[in-house]
Amino acid sequence: MLRGVTVVAVTGLLAVIPAEAKLRINGSTTVNPVVSEAAAILRAEAGLEILVDTVGGSSGGIAALADGRAEMAMSSRPVSEADRKRFPGVDFRSVRIGTDALALVVSRDVWAAGVRCLDRPQVRGLYEGTIRNWRDLGGPDRRVVFFNKEPGRGTWEVFAAWLYGTSTAAPLVSLPGVGSNAEARSKVASTRGAITQLSAAWADGERTFALAICNGDDELAPTAEEVLAGRYSLARPLYVITNGAPEGDSRRLIDFVLGERGQALVERHGYLPLAKRSIMGGAQP
Amino acid sequence: MKGTWIRWASYGATAVALVFVGALVGSLAWESLPVWRQEGLSYLTGKTWHYRGALFGALPMIYGSAVVAFIALLLAAPLGLGAALFSAEYVPGRWRWAVKVPIELLAGVPSVVYGLLGLLLLRGWIYRLLEPFDPLSGDTLLTGGVLLAVMILPTVMTLADDALRGVGASQRRAARGLGLTRAESIWRVSLPQAAPGLAAALLLGFGRALGETIAVFLVVGRQDNQWPASVFSPRAWLEAGQTLTSKLGGSETFLAYGDPLHWGAIVGLGLILLILVGGLTGVAGRWLPQARRHA
Repeated sequence: MLRGVTVVAVTGLLAVIPAEAKLRINGSTTVNPVVSEAAAILRAEAGLEILVDTVGGSSGGIAALADGRAEMAMSSRPVSEADRKRFPGVDFRSVRIGTDALALVVSRDVWAAGVRCLDRPQVRGLYEGTIRNWRDLGGPDRRVVFFNKEPGRGTWEVFAAWLYGTSTAAPLVSLPGVGSNAEARSKVASTRGAITQLSAAWADGERTFALAICNGDDELAPTAEEVLAGRYSLARPLYVITNGAPEGDSRRLIDFVLGERGQALVERHGYLPLAKRSIMGGAQP
Repeated sequence: MKGTWIRWASYGATAVALVFVGALVGSLAWESLPVWRQEGLSYLTGKTWHYRGALFGALPMIYGSAVVAFIALLLAAPLGLGAALFSAEYVPGRWRWAVKVPIELLAGVPSVVYGLLGLLLLRGWIYRLLEPFDPLSGDTLLTGGVLLAVMILPTVMTLADDALRGVGASQRRAARGLGLTRAESIWRVSLPQAAPGLAAALLLGFGRALGETIAVFLVVGRQDNQWPASVFSPRAWLEAGQTLTSKLGGSETFLAYGDPLHWGAIVGLGLILLILVGGLTGVAGRWLPQARRHA
């Protein structure tokens, strides 16, 4: 009897310990849909063992890569000097897989009241809490709810760098936090007067809407054309990152994502693929 | 022979558990040392947390945790105690399972499922319900508290039920024999006798609410540095907040790793939480056996 119990307990323990995956990938929820789908295809077609996770966002992925908890990081921001200083022994190798237009995304009532674009001082006012009601920007009479992307999310880093020059210059604000893109979108969709920083590709145009950026009289929408022409300034490259030159399964995954099918995935998820030709063909984010 | 074997095995198991707890507390204390060195006591009393400026004040998170757990208890206590009274005093023994099992099933639902239900349903309900008060969003301390109330209900109910059933049948019969009605005998005999056990049930429920992470994480808003104008004003319950656990479950934990001060501040939150929950469980534990002894 006792021996039986022991055997069951030990087998149970073994079942809890996960099998060693060949390739562990961690990081940005923006890059995740592309890499996850590529991984699923390679799993089915080539039998590769790949685990994809998005805990902690871009910075979490870079830290996981540096600590050896992952073999590849997904990032929606470049590897920074601070990263290299923090992990001096790590040879970060970034491979760009596409481009993403970041936007300020608002809820339906704000959009419906006619708010279509914001300039930088207005965004700063909303972020720092000096603009507290949408009325001040021609929107509905409703308090502003700014769902702020958590620190460490690539989205936040790029947004802060765009607004303040460097992300370290961003002031201390007290705002409700959101993590993944899916969470940000769902909270904006279900809250009146809501705004968040979000990849434009994730705004669905039904309950969440991507605003343009005003620049004088210009109104720059986060579209492929504006990004390519270099006019839309809130665009950012998307990366996968390895420690040292990618080899083995990492190499195969990167080759796939950079290839025709992989780039088609990038485009299908609303991001801009690397080759210009195919960008002009579609991908309105 | 067999007796000795079992005795040594149980000693061994206990020793392993004790060593494990000791090592846990020790390593949390050790890892959080940098933040205690820099902030001192203001780590506990500071109201600003800004890791880029190396400011670490945990008070708003302690407040957030206390408030969500308090709201949870406020809602779960009457329900849990009421259900326990019903099941222990009114339901005939063979039907008792019909009350107890469904409520205990609530404890078997994974907490991430509660979190998702909270995200999908509860946030919206609370948002609409609070419409007259012009809430900013459905992510509030109240939302977290209501969700936790459902989660701690089985703890409160089961332990309270055990405490009430621990009251001797002979005392009940004596009370009825003296002419007390059933309600009077509950009020005069069962409740006073079971009081320590009932209090322990509430405390353990409170402790469980303090420690819950993922469900709260999804609905509490995760807004740092929320300190109410008045600590006792329920108005602040309608605002987003941050709890010890929602901070620990967030992305900062991943960022902090590698920076001793920031990491120390994060680990320190774990230590505070452990001490709070451990303290509550300890106090409850002193009451609980007393209740059992009456049985």
